[in-house]
Amino acid sequence: MQRVRKESGPRVRGDLRASYPPRMTRPLILAPRVALIALIAFGIAACARQPEPQAPAIAARTLDPARLAFTAVPPDSLAAVIASGGAQGTLVNVWASWCEPCREEFPGIIRLSRAYRDRGLRVVLISADFTEDLPNARKFLAEQGVDWPTYYKTGDDQAFIAALSSNWSGSLPGSFVFDAHGVLRDSWEGKASYAAFERRVRPVLSLPELPAGSTDSTTHGKDRS
Amino acid sequence: MKPILLSGAALLAASIILVSGMPAGAEESAPAALALGSKAPMADVQMKTAAGSEVSIAGVKGAKGTLVVFTCNGCPWAKKWEARIVKLGNEASKKGIGVVAINANDPSVNATDDYANMVTRAKDRGMKFPYAMDATSDIARAFGATRTPEAFLFDGKGLLVYHGTIDDNADDAGAVKQPYLANAVWAVAGGKAVPVAETKSLGCGIKFRAAKTAS
Repeated sequence: MQRVRKESGPRVRGDLRASYPPRMTRPLILAPRVALIALIAFGIAACARQPEPQAPAIAARTLDPARLAFTAVPPDSLAAVIASGGAQGTLVNVWASWCEPCREEFPGIIRLSRAYRDRGLRVVLISADFTEDLPNARKFLAEQGVDWPTYYKTGDDQAFIAALSSNWSGSLPGSFVFDAHGVLRDSWEGKASYAAFERRVRPVLSLPELPAGSTDSTTHGKDRS
Repeated sequence: MKPILLSGAALLAASIILVSGMPAGAEESAPAALALGSKAPMADVQMKTAAGSEVSIAGVKGAKGTLVVFTCNGCPWAKKWEARIVKLGNEASKKGIGVVAINANDPSVNATDDYANMVTRAKDRGMKFPYAMDATSDIARAFGATRTPEAFLFDGKGLLVYHGTIDDNADDAGAVKQPYLANAVWAVAGGKAVPVAETKSLGCGIKFRAAKTAS
């Protein structure tokens, strides 16, 4: 109550309530009403904020799978694709439409891309789907609201694996963090959470380490559609 | 300048090796795969087969060698390679190579990988070697297997001589240029050195059951 009264003080200056005499008696009488109004307003505002959107607005936008920029990338073009973005850091994620762990971590990657693109992160998604499954991959990308160019793998598996990391066994999903010079700085295989992705890309973006178990709330504010 | 340059390059190389490893911190980190020259771990552990019997890796050991293939029922890569694995396994079984296919996937992650589907697949595909369930996923863990399908071939002395993929084209059997596993199997059956000992391919990550901690 006291906090509400304090906040209501300066704000009344200049509006109708500014004509209230600055006497102690009247504010004392009005205080409960002001506080009540403020409380209701606060409650409405709070309700209006809840629940916060769980997914970026773009996920709700309908994308046409057939119109997505989805192009083949053979092993010998991988380095050029990674370098072409000129980003401070590039996260490459190899996935497939049938791969359940890939699908599960995907929303986190999309969120990461939106949260960190202004900080120099580029996300390169490469589908490892077989030719007959590429329509499913397109459909999934559209459902996830991926509105930037992505790729599908072609050519020899071994050359493809070697072009990303000699430490990669080839198991999906595989994730790789490259610096601005195209040098591999980090990689892992298996599903990761949003927090894990965030923790792994921040060093290459020269961002400070986050406390264990937390995510950067400032980046959440930068989520955009 | 040269020593400085060399030491700088060495430092850079060491840094790259350090930062590019599969470090802890990922939700799932890759285990170290069984090294060439190793013996099969957990070879005496009994596994239930699709035929309803029990088998161990030691139990299927052939006079000339033993082939262990981690595979499953639902993975598209495993399915693409399945006919080739069965054909090679059936033929190798007749030439002194013991063969076992092992499903280490947790069926609670994907029901397709359950025992009933193993029975169906083994029968439908005409597997003449055991298709066994690694009921704890511990055998796959001990091998450092990460994906399906993934092959480990041991020679007549029980030493690992080949680890890797089936061939160089999962999608199109007719376009295979390098039948890596078949080459290795026939080399071992013929008492020769395998031409290529380690290969890789893309594959579905093994859906490991939770590891039991020692009490």
